[in-house]
Amino acid sequence: MVDIAVPEVDYTQYSNRQLVAVPLVMLAVALLVIFGWYVMTGAPANLGLEFTGGTELRIDVEGDDPRGQIDEAFSAEPQSVQQVAADGAYIVSFREGEISSSELEQEANDAGFEIQTIDQVSASFGGDTQILALGGIAAAFLGMSLIVFGMFRTFVPSIAVVASAFSDIMIPLAMMNLLGIDLTLGTVAALLMLIGYSVDSDILLNNSILRRTGDFYESTHRAMRTGVTMTLTSMAAMAVMTVLSYLFGIQIMTAIGLILVVGLAADLMNTYLLNVSLLRWYVHEGVKR
Amino acid sequence: MIGKIKANWRVTMLIIIVLAALVVLFVPAFDASEEQIGNESEQAQGLTNLQYGLDLAGGTRIRAPLIGMTATGVEFGGDSEAEVAAAVAEELPDTGTTDIIARQEFEDEPGTVEVVDPDVSESEFADAMDRAGYEYDEIQDVLTDETHDEAIEVLEGKVNQAGLSGATVQRADDPTGGTFIVVEVPGEDRQDVLDLIQERGEVRVDIYHDSDGDGNYTTEQEALTRDDFQSISTARQSDESGPHVPVTVREDSAEEFQQKAVETGLAQEGGSQCTYDENPESTDPCLLLVVDGEIVNSFGMNPGLADSMRGGSWAQDPSFILTTTSFEEAQRVSVNLRAGALPAELDIFGAGTTSFISPTQGEQFQTNALLVGILSVLTVAGVVFARYREPKVALPMIVTAFSEVIILLGFAAYLGYPLDLAVIAGFIAVIGTGVDDLIIIADEVMAQGDVSSRKVFDSRFKKAFWVIGVAAGTTIIAMSPLAVLSLGDLRGFAIFTILGVLVGVLITRPAYGDILRHLMTNR
Repeated sequence: MVDIAVPEVDYTQYSNRQLVAVPLVMLAVALLVIFGWYVMTGAPANLGLEFTGGTELRIDVEGDDPRGQIDEAFSAEPQSVQQVAADGAYIVSFREGEISSSELEQEANDAGFEIQTIDQVSASFGGDTQILALGGIAAAFLGMSLIVFGMFRTFVPSIAVVASAFSDIMIPLAMMNLLGIDLTLGTVAALLMLIGYSVDSDILLNNSILRRTGDFYESTHRAMRTGVTMTLTSMAAMAVMTVLSYLFGIQIMTAIGLILVVGLAADLMNTYLLNVSLLRWYVHEGVKR
Repeated sequence: MIGKIKANWRVTMLIIIVLAALVVLFVPAFDASEEQIGNESEQAQGLTNLQYGLDLAGGTRIRAPLIGMTATGVEFGGDSEAEVAAAVAEELPDTGTTDIIARQEFEDEPGTVEVVDPDVSESEFADAMDRAGYEYDEIQDVLTDETHDEAIEVLEGKVNQAGLSGATVQRADDPTGGTFIVVEVPGEDRQDVLDLIQERGEVRVDIYHDSDGDGNYTTEQEALTRDDFQSISTARQSDESGPHVPVTVREDSAEEFQQKAVETGLAQEGGSQCTYDENPESTDPCLLLVVDGEIVNSFGMNPGLADSMRGGSWAQDPSFILTTTSFEEAQRVSVNLRAGALPAELDIFGAGTTSFISPTQGEQFQTNALLVGILSVLTVAGVVFARYREPKVALPMIVTAFSEVIILLGFAAYLGYPLDLAVIAGFIAVIGTGVDDLIIIADEVMAQGDVSSRKVFDSRFKKAFWVIGVAAGTTIIAMSPLAVLSLGDLRGFAIFTILGVLVGVLITRPAYGDILRHLMTNR
């Protein structure tokens, strides 16, 4: 069995500025990607079927050259064609357009494809969903911030938690853009879930440093030992979920898993670089002022 | 013994709750599945009492708003509901009275007028209201609650009449003001469900005739409508009359219909031979079967029936058949007549969503999702063992995490909440946060050497619990928008994440503390 030893980082070797630099640069890059996406496409992320409207079919294709068969079968140009690893089925999606989902269904049947699933979302329904989902994320983030400020009642430790949660959401969002993962209801749920996971380890760290007597570095190490174990455990579970559900072609679980893996990795960085240095500044200098 | 139970009451409670969850999960008497429409449903006859959502059971879900607008606060000025509807319909060029619904709950109080014709714009509706002379407050883009209730009732009737078992029809509101109707039919193809509910299903019988013999045919509309039928049978097929629906006409309508049939020449001597399809300008009188304004079949009358109509004996035993061109058509007519017409059309392709999962795919998702869940939990167990290397700490941790899942599954079975993929993802996420919290407790308690006294243990446990409590609070806050908003599948994910966090903080984590204390302090 592998031995998981949580590394002991010697924070004394680095200045606050050095520590903060890495997460801040990452956050800046992430925000730049998201902003760039917004300027180029009019939306901060690749919007999935639920938000744009359209039709998605999961079909079994028998015979040679399935891709060619798919191209031939449908009178509209598919937006994307993906193959599911586990059973070889194809997921074909179409943007909302001149051809209706009933016609697509008919064409798939005529071509002899076996339809496993069909999802159809109309464009105006998608637009409403988009507003709802954004409102949901904003409300969740606000609620989290209020609880954190209410618990710690001091500015710097609270803002440290809120800032690292913000970054934990933005980094996976930017990564989704770069990897071409669509923003769907599943990924929105994962982003919300990240708020909960992110705050876990941050609160543990804050609590250990602020509410305990003892040396700053000792408290940090103690919190880190627990926090890193926690995050790695969750990451391992999510990584397994991502890989398996990808193989099985269960899209909603793949999306949730992947976002959480990336977000948790970002959380490790944000908690133990950004949050630690903010707290160190606060404990050593901020309090005296 | 009793003292021991008392001292470890948290563990005792956990065991009791887990046992209760197991009972709810596996004892057939607790099966909540019978409350659905269509009692003969064959679903949920598996090993457990769990219900599966469409993702995992296969079937069709359609979610769409009703098309139409409502003028609110309408002054009826003493007119009856029917008069108002007729007056407003009069002012709209291509809209009949079936497309206008006027409602007034109490006399002398303002009522509502709804228009359900998709081709009428808001300004046209406003103009029509003005011209008809009814004052109103405003026009809203949504139909009234009463109309939604009626629509749901009719849709339930339709899916039941069509023999689709286990189907549900519900209303879902979203906070942006939209109101949707959600129809879920397990195991059924999408197109079949669409065919069933897409149209309003207004069935009527017209008489097409040229009784004055001048060569100009007229159509006597609504010779028979749904209200005129006493009973409607299911669709039949026979060699003699082909596909058809046997019906009985109500006594009071029968006389009138009989008279009309005689006057229009439909019941002429020798019956009537209908050739409406081939040459409508020179046919005998015809009966037209009209669904949603479209003629689906035309037929004449056989000599025997014509005789009894002319003799007046038919009205004593007013049975009758509606023939159609295909058996499917006959089924549709029968379902539409029995369930009634939808008060408004569903806007499925303009503002709705549909999804279909084949039953075999659903079954496969079930196995696969279960496998994903089990392997994720095993991974967690592996990491925890690798980290602590002491079964005394790790084993209770894993057992506790598992019991959390069992309790949640018990909840799902008890509530009859259908499991779908998003809910299973929620379960896995809950195990993740759950184990996180157990790690916090274990590390905190074991920090700085042995825990010999109970007092030290308790104070450390309390400290750990503060962190867990705050973290749980934020997770609940973060997920609650999803639990409230109607964002489709994600509602289940959010509800079960929140439920899982609550179960964890209130039941399983305190119990884990007790177990750990027992193992740590007794030495």
